Amino acid sequence: MSPQRDRDRDAFRAGVRRLFKLPLFTRAAARADADAELDAFLAERIDRLVLSGLTPADARAEALRRLGSPEGDARLVLRRSAQRRQRHQWLRQAAADLREDLRIAVRRFAHSPAFTATALLTLAFGIGANTAIFSAVHGLLLAPLAFPNGNRIVMPMQENDRYRGDSRFERRNMAGALIEAWQQRTHTVEDIAAASEDMFSLDADGTIDTLTSAVVTVNFLPMLGVEPLVGRGFSPGDVVRHGPPNVAVISEALWRQSYAGRSDIVGRTVTLDGRPLAIIGVAPAGLNIPLSHKTPPDMWVPGALTDAVDGGTGSLDISPSVFALLRPGVSVDVASRELESIAAGVPHAAGLGGRLRVMRAQDFVNAGETRALEVLFAAVGALLLTACATVANLLLARAWTRQREFAIRGALGAGRRRLARQVLTESMSLALAGGLLGIGVAGLTLRVIVALRPPGLDRLADVHIEPAVLLWTLVVSVLTGLSFGCAPAFFAGLHPVGDVLRREMRGGSAGVISRRVRSTLVVLQIAASLALLVASGLLVRSFAALQRMPLGFEPRGLLYADVLIAGTREQRGTIRDEIIRHLQSLRDVTGVSIGVMPGKGWLGGGVEAEIDPEGHTADVPALGTIMMSPGYLRVARIPLLAGRLPDSTSFSSLGPAGWSSEVLVNRALARRLWPAGRAIGAHLREKPFPGRPPAPWSTVVGVTSDTRIPGESGDVAAYQVYTIDRLVSEVPFVVRTTMSGDDAAPIVKRAITAVDPHIFARPILSGDTYLRDGLAPTRFAMSLLTAFGVVALALAAIGLSGVIAYSVSQRTREIGIRLALGADPSRVVRHVVSGGLGLVALGIALGAAAALAATRALSSMLYGVGAADPPTFVAIALLVGAIALVASYVPARRALRIDPAETLRAD
Amino acid sequence: MDDGLPLLKGTLDLLVLKTLSWGPLHGYAIATWLEERSEGTLGVDDSALYQALQRMEGRGLLAAEWGTTDNNRRARYYKLTAAGRRRLREESATWMRYTQSVSSILSLASRTV
Repeated sequence: MSPQRDRDRDAFRAGVRRLFKLPLFTRAAARADADAELDAFLAERIDRLVLSGLTPADARAEALRRLGSPEGDARLVLRRSAQRRQRHQWLRQAAADLREDLRIAVRRFAHSPAFTATALLTLAFGIGANTAIFSAVHGLLLAPLAFPNGNRIVMPMQENDRYRGDSRFERRNMAGALIEAWQQRTHTVEDIAAASEDMFSLDADGTIDTLTSAVVTVNFLPMLGVEPLVGRGFSPGDVVRHGPPNVAVISEALWRQSYAGRSDIVGRTVTLDGRPLAIIGVAPAGLNIPLSHKTPPDMWVPGALTDAVDGGTGSLDISPSVFALLRPGVSVDVASRELESIAAGVPHAAGLGGRLRVMRAQDFVNAGETRALEVLFAAVGALLLTACATVANLLLARAWTRQREFAIRGALGAGRRRLARQVLTESMSLALAGGLLGIGVAGLTLRVIVALRPPGLDRLADVHIEPAVLLWTLVVSVLTGLSFGCAPAFFAGLHPVGDVLRREMRGGSAGVISRRVRSTLVVLQIAASLALLVASGLLVRSFAALQRMPLGFEPRGLLYADVLIAGTREQRGTIRDEIIRHLQSLRDVTGVSIGVMPGKGWLGGGVEAEIDPEGHTADVPALGTIMMSPGYLRVARIPLLAGRLPDSTSFSSLGPAGWSSEVLVNRALARRLWPAGRAIGAHLREKPFPGRPPAPWSTVVGVTSDTRIPGESGDVAAYQVYTIDRLVSEVPFVVRTTMSGDDAAPIVKRAITAVDPHIFARPILSGDTYLRDGLAPTRFAMSLLTAFGVVALALAAIGLSGVIAYSVSQRTREIGIRLALGADPSRVVRHVVSGGLGLVALGIALGAAAALAATRALSSMLYGVGAADPPTFVAIALLVGAIALVASYVPARRALRIDPAETLRAD
Repeated sequence: MDDGLPLLKGTLDLLVLKTLSWGPLHGYAIATWLEERSEGTLGVDDSALYQALQRMEGRGLLAAEWGTTDNNRRARYYKLTAAGRRRLREESATWMRYTQSVSSILSLASRTV
């Protein structure tokens, strides 16, 4: 290290320190100190030696000898410790200063508890709510699927025009030929796998559980980058063609719950749907790949891809989800274009012929939920804005009084740096304390959100506070505190002391600046709270409308159970009738029928219909088919609008496949196919699979009313054909009870298993739950937005009343004089309030404009109410206006207590 | 260390603490005080003394501030901190016990020779 470079560096550091007003301690200064000390020591010794008779030169030599080490080394030791010392000293000084500043800050806060509490709570709420929501959004929208290749997995699907964007009805079945073509010719995709969901009943040591399981191609788990925790994954030899699977990989959750995480799980045999099945491995946690259900499967069993897609009855059902792993660095768009161009050359087999769409699996998981979260996001942003504005307002309100204090302290000799540091400490400690409280609030908020979460957002339960998010909100709050806390210090430094003190006598310019800023903030707050409240008001009205929405059936007290019945056709028939008898014999049961809960039926292939006597036909690409017994409409309470019920013996003429010879259609389908209203008597049939003989024609004998899905603000659930049940192995039952469905569910379950304990019934769905879950997303958004809106309004009221109180205190003299000259007190109050009302009017106007823009984003969540619903806007504007009026009236009344004589004497 | 007794490890620190127990002194004064009290037998060289001073200051046993010597030079005056005082009390007791045991062993040894 050359001395020149040392000097340069010291000079540079000194410059930087001067720039940032840091104390000047440089290596050079420390070195000078150390040298001075050693020089003094040597000089003292030399003096003494000279006194004892040595010549100065000898004395010096002796003194250096006595050092015991070369002079340079001694100097080095001293210099090093001097530098260390200086650093320590500086730190100690800073710590002492900080302690002192904190002590002063705490004392000041204790002097104004109302201010402190308001500021702290406001900050805590703003930071807490924000952190919670941002964490939720982060966990749901931004985090990739929690397995190694999660963010490279895409799902090719065929869109169904009628149900575009509705993942429930988007058919995802791909022709086997298409998948094979992709596998052979793609350059953008590494691997393609398919999976479909199924339910099994697991008989583990005598207790029967219903499991969600996924039938997957052998490459499915490796493609996701997943290694089994225990045991092995699938190999091609595990696939059983044309038969039930005999090996399974279970989920980590199931392993922990049912097998207590025992390591000897591999090789155990369980009974699945009455058949033995060997567990060969355990998949790691976090394998949250979405299938049709929102919950990840408990178990994976191997199946073959070709079975999945030819409409056959192999181990994968007819509508698997297809997953593709993008090559690293390939974008979804590029892959999408390539897969499409390959698909264009392949004649579709069982496809609907809809457009091919490639979605990130991540986006598929969140389909339908993104909107709700975005709304929340915006809402919480508005809340943070109001929180920050409130704190800013509070701090600015203090600025005035602080200005005077600073001016006086400045006059008494406090340095500007000292004053600025004081203010900084106060703002920072306030912001940080608010932030710490905010962490607590965030935890609570998140808990509330999780408790309220709609069923589709089950993954919210895994969300936790994200440290990064917390840091971000803390930074925001600290910046708020700093920027507004420093304003008074800035003003204090700006003006000579005398000016400030003089101006205070007259009410002057810095006050004007701060009043303008504060007024602007109040306007913003009012606008934000109005927008929030309008949004929540619209949701409240939607919720009410959704609750009143005519569903076309009666879900309350209706139960739906899917039962798998094995055996020959005759055996199945016997068991089915036995179950119906059992269910009918239950107390509180008023009706039992074959059929599904409306909206939960099977949505399958298209229909071909004769639309006129000349034999012209029309196609409808996809529709729902409900197998039923004639009692179904009565049990589900679906009105028959025209015609009659089908003859229940109409099946006898047919084989075990296809529709009964007499069917019902719902009104939507009748209108689409026969707009002229000649549905009854018309013929239709299932669109045959390519290469299969066409099905026989059926005759429409009646038209039912349309059914809707609870909570879906869309139109009719689907085009429906009602056909008489043909005794397939999976029999849907609906039961009408007079109890609440939730209470009746276990009773119904017991009645079914009483027939034969080995019968497997899927989880029973009660109409009450169906209704509740359907309404949950709206309720969720509504509750949160309402809470936010109320908090924002409260904050706005605080801000407004602060502004009015301040203007009253500013105009004390003026008001005093007016009163002294005989002005009517109530007019004086009106005069004071009118200033506030201008702000309120402006805020309401701005807020209404913002709400108009914001509620457009809400429109998909609204039902039965427009995004610009005048009654809601007017009502909320009136509410905000009224609150604002109260908030300004309370401080304005202080003007009446002004004693004119006092104010005049004060000067 | 060519003159006097070799200094036992830790002894110098203890002596410096003792030296300062009567009041603050600057470096040279400490050196002369030690020399005079030990009648020149201690033989500490100055840089060793300074290293000890810096070490103890770093550990918070001593504090120092600038002052002026009798000859009107700026020098740092070292003084005991509370921690230094405590250390002095503990160390002296230990030292006494140590020297006693050593001397009793020595006296035994001289008898058995």
